[in-house]
Amino acid sequence: VSGVRPGWGLVLIPAVLSAQQPTGLNDAERVLQPLVESYGVSGMEGPVRETVQRLLPRSARAQTDTAGNLWLTMGSGEPSVVFVAHLDEIGFKVTAIREDGTLETETMGGFFPSLWEGRPALVHTGGRTVPGVFLPRDTAATASPVTSEPVVRVDVGAANRAGVLAFGIRVGHTVTSPKQYVRLLGTRATGRSFDDRVGSAALVLAARRLESSRLGHTVIFIWSTREEIGLEGARAAAAALGLGPARVHAVDTFVSADSPLERTNFGLAPLGAGPVARALDNSSVTPPAMVDSLVSLARAAGIPLQVGATNGGNDGSAFAGWGVPDVPLGWPLRYSHSPVEVADLRDVAALAELVRVVAERW
Amino acid sequence: MANGERVPIVAALALLLAAAAGRVAARTPDPTLPDLAIRLAAMTAVTGYEQQMIDSLIALVPGAARDRVGNAVVVLGAGSRRRLVVCPVSEPGFIVGHVRPDGWMTLRRAPGRFSPAAERQIEGQRVTVFGGRGAVPGVIGVRSIHLTRGRGGAGEGAFSVDSAYLDIGAGSSAEVARAGVAVLSPLAPAKRPHRYGTDLIAAPMAARRTACATLVLAARRAVAEQGMVPRGESVIVAFVVEQELGGRGLGTLAHARGPFDETVVVDGAPGAAGLLARRPDSLAARWPGLGTVTRWSLGARYPGTYVETTSIAGADSLQHALTAWIGGRR
Repeated sequence: VSGVRPGWGLVLIPAVLSAQQPTGLNDAERVLQPLVESYGVSGMEGPVRETVQRLLPRSARAQTDTAGNLWLTMGSGEPSVVFVAHLDEIGFKVTAIREDGTLETETMGGFFPSLWEGRPALVHTGGRTVPGVFLPRDTAATASPVTSEPVVRVDVGAANRAGVLAFGIRVGHTVTSPKQYVRLLGTRATGRSFDDRVGSAALVLAARRLESSRLGHTVIFIWSTREEIGLEGARAAAAALGLGPARVHAVDTFVSADSPLERTNFGLAPLGAGPVARALDNSSVTPPAMVDSLVSLARAAGIPLQVGATNGGNDGSAFAGWGVPDVPLGWPLRYSHSPVEVADLRDVAALAELVRVVAERW
Repeated sequence: MANGERVPIVAALALLLAAAAGRVAARTPDPTLPDLAIRLAAMTAVTGYEQQMIDSLIALVPGAARDRVGNAVVVLGAGSRRRLVVCPVSEPGFIVGHVRPDGWMTLRRAPGRFSPAAERQIEGQRVTVFGGRGAVPGVIGVRSIHLTRGRGGAGEGAFSVDSAYLDIGAGSSAEVARAGVAVLSPLAPAKRPHRYGTDLIAAPMAARRTACATLVLAARRAVAEQGMVPRGESVIVAFVVEQELGGRGLGTLAHARGPFDETVVVDGAPGAAGLLARRPDSLAARWPGLGTVTRWSLGARYPGTYVETTSIAGADSLQHALTAWIGGRR
């Protein structure tokens, strides 16, 4: 029957291409996939943090701070350079349990909640995960995507409030929808929470390739928490480091206009054309001389690098109050903060290599 | 001609294999109702492109065969008093309408009744495209929220299929073609049926697919228990195509296999999840050959959405009722 028939759910063509792809892409995919398939709404990043720790080399001595950030320090001496990628993803939080057995939620991070309505849901209790569905609502007559929403509700199949409590669900628990890393044609892939699992993967891949003993200075990798709700983890890390770092590199999404749906006035960084120096966004402007240095470094290393301006904020901007220059490194992403974010593995691999080169040579 | 000489041997082998397959199918243990409901809910049968699902149903019901319009049909008993029980398999969906030089594709609705809500659901979701070289994953694009900030929504209307862009990761129309995808390739939401609560199943068309699963199991039992159909009667079990496109599958049965004394249409319908409802249906006015028509509906919570929900307990009742009906009990 169709469940086992070729052509019915088995993805033949991307799998064939996957087998033929270069080692760097295979490595990138092997790190990225488990990160994408880990769940971690802002404030409940534990499963993602555990995945990062599992993917790091055994010799790595990563530590978690009181804000939930994961730190890995390599090398020693000045200057200290910080790379920060965030662990958390957008999602929902339970705000109330109704007598009819449905859950009220609020959004955690900025996205179009309408894309989640009428979808399967997962309530993360911190222990077990309880399946349910986001209640659908007829939004056909409203502007698209819907930006101002009433409360999004979740049905876990309970008849009343007591039934919900019996599942172990409480106010404050987080809600996502099931997700899966899926290869598209060529080197493209889709899934949810590529933002910022790609950045997290790039840091893991770079950490694997760096040797502490050969670094001439201190490199600090931080996998941060609660970026999507206000850079909270990065703020704690910045406060802890104070005036120490010479530079911070937020390694995060470059929201690209590479789609027929977008205006291309700015932000047009084609997928597959390499990482992007996110030289200007809503939270930071990279000093122009540093953009030039980064471009020269990438060129010398043979790494394709795009330079652009986009929207959004980045964790590096949390260090601004300590006078630490922020040089964000991004990669182009389509359909940001949607269930179907699309990235190109070539960009992921090149981003990891760029992080390594910047850590070693800049 | 050497090739010509091989034909009878090949044909004989094919017949032997088909016969063996039939025996294997007959002996295969029945899948459980939840498993079969999930299997069928994971399948795609866009109106007019149902034949792969029909293949699966033929494999599941020993003795079933495809008729002239593509329905899967099995005849139980040999009597002259004929009864008919059908389950529609079709679903709303889309086809590739145009392949752009840059590899993005635009869509057209598959024909048939189609709610605007159903159409809107594909925005920003994963889909499966059924191309000439197999299933290809894709996504329906959506604007990045970051790039809409502070830029207003002037000129932006409600999402419709006319504003949908299909992205399968191709960078050119040539890459699309190499993947076997072309104008007319059907597509539908990527399906991962989802269980929740104590016995609920959520999926696109969950109630219809679960209803079809009950009919598969009832038919398998009737085939296995020779003599279930009362003497002097015959029961035709059919899984019909293009129900939302003028009822082509059902109409063809009425004309080609009728007249029937009685017809039961098994389907999903809005209602409490799993609630079994039996109501007279007006289809007989359109096709008198169907005889008295009754619709047996399995209730669906959130009908027509990607999380249409029904219950296994209700489906279990439907399966027992169908088995009894095939056996002549009212």
